[in-house]
Amino acid sequence: MNDKEKFLKEFNDGLHRIGRITLILGAVLLIAVPFIIAMLNDASIDFKGFLAGFAKVGIIYIPVAIVEFLVYSPMLGVGGSYLSFITGNVTNMKIPCVMNAKDIAQTETGTPEHEIISTISVATSAIITTLVIVAGVILLVPLQPVLQNEALLPAFNNVVPALFGALGIKHFLKSPKIAAIPLLLMSALCIFVPSMINQTSILMIPSGALALGIGFYLFKKNKL
Amino acid sequence: MNQYINAVNSGVFYAIVALVLTFITIMCIVFLVKSYKAGLQIGMDEKLLKKTILSSATFTLLPSISILLGVIALSGTLGVPFSWLRLSVIGALQYELNVAEIAAQSIGLSGLNVSQLDMNAFVTIALVMTMGILGGVFCCIFFLKGYMNKLQSKPKKEASGKPGFGAHATTAMFVGLCAAYIGAYIGKVFPGGGSDWMPLFVAGISAIAMSIFEYFVQKKKMASLENFSLAASMLIAMSAAVIVNMLV
Repeated sequence: MNDKEKFLKEFNDGLHRIGRITLILGAVLLIAVPFIIAMLNDASIDFKGFLAGFAKVGIIYIPVAIVEFLVYSPMLGVGGSYLSFITGNVTNMKIPCVMNAKDIAQTETGTPEHEIISTISVATSAIITTLVIVAGVILLVPLQPVLQNEALLPAFNNVVPALFGALGIKHFLKSPKIAAIPLLLMSALCIFVPSMINQTSILMIPSGALALGIGFYLFKKNKL
Repeated sequence: MNQYINAVNSGVFYAIVALVLTFITIMCIVFLVKSYKAGLQIGMDEKLLKKTILSSATFTLLPSISILLGVIALSGTLGVPFSWLRLSVIGALQYELNVAEIAAQSIGLSGLNVSQLDMNAFVTIALVMTMGILGGVFCCIFFLKGYMNKLQSKPKKEASGKPGFGAHATTAMFVGLCAAYIGAYIGKVFPGGGSDWMPLFVAGISAIAMSIFEYFVQKKKMASLENFSLAASMLIAMSAAVIVNMLV
């Protein structure tokens, strides 16, 4: 084990330690909130209703959570994963943010530099989001007429297309051989099976797997 | 109904949410400082570390505003503090609305209708929303260390001299992710998808703007533009959406 690998192992072990402790505490705090609110308001949780609701939600979101964990944690790195999975907005914000930082810093996945850059990127993103939302909540009343101004609605309704248009072109141009088939297939699928349009969170799984398979094939054939 | 609205917007509730978010923010600061120091320790350029912070911050600003709009959208039924908590920690608007609706129906309501909600319904819905989104957190707590160690040990098996597939894999997965979204926007243009051309139009404008920025960054060596290219492309595309919406 060379010095860099040793450093990476020690650095990651430290992140795992803090990450696990803080995530456990964070989860306990989050779960405690409904119970505290119930106590303060003399309300009671309907556990039968909770179980029924949780079963329906779990069927959809637990497999999604597992797949997201398996797919995204290698991109996010150790520190980035702990932070992303507790702060949320993983696909629409944290992953693009890390990819953007990785492009700027020119780091290779699996290196100490990448671990550091991705953790810094996710932490900064999470802090900024929190600050923006805190500022927004404080200003919510006076800001509401501006933000809810109907004229601005098309802009905020299309923030995700704006994000993926810019990121898409960047990555498609970088890897056109990988991008062509998934893009054509996903477009065809959404044209001929319109119900898939609103299932992007599910659609991205076969699309990612397909791109990965094509990438692997091209890599093996030395065509990347 | 007023009693319910007052209860879900109470000062104590704001204080509880502020406490939880303070904890999460401190966690982020600890990770940030630790990584920054580690970067300096292994000889990374301090300018690069600062550039990463700046670009991540500018990158995040616009999407954060959209999350704030989500808080406003949710606050009408679940109150500001809980919407603030849910969209600041783990959640995303699409998930929250969907799960809240499922939970409301599971306790016998017709849906997430504010006129039917009371505090008993609220705390049950809140618990379903919280527990349903914790899957990724539990995966990290129990499996992240083993999973990452396994992944990091794999490159050693690769033949020396040729970089492993790992670096290409992340790009490929991200290409797949973008393809799913762009495919959905293309599908929306057709009658079966609702003939909604606006998302594809916005994505197209954003892509054109990004290509122009890339041209200046790559060909004209204006590297400083890279920090703002994504946020600026998005802003241009979003402004175009407003203008076009006024014109048509």
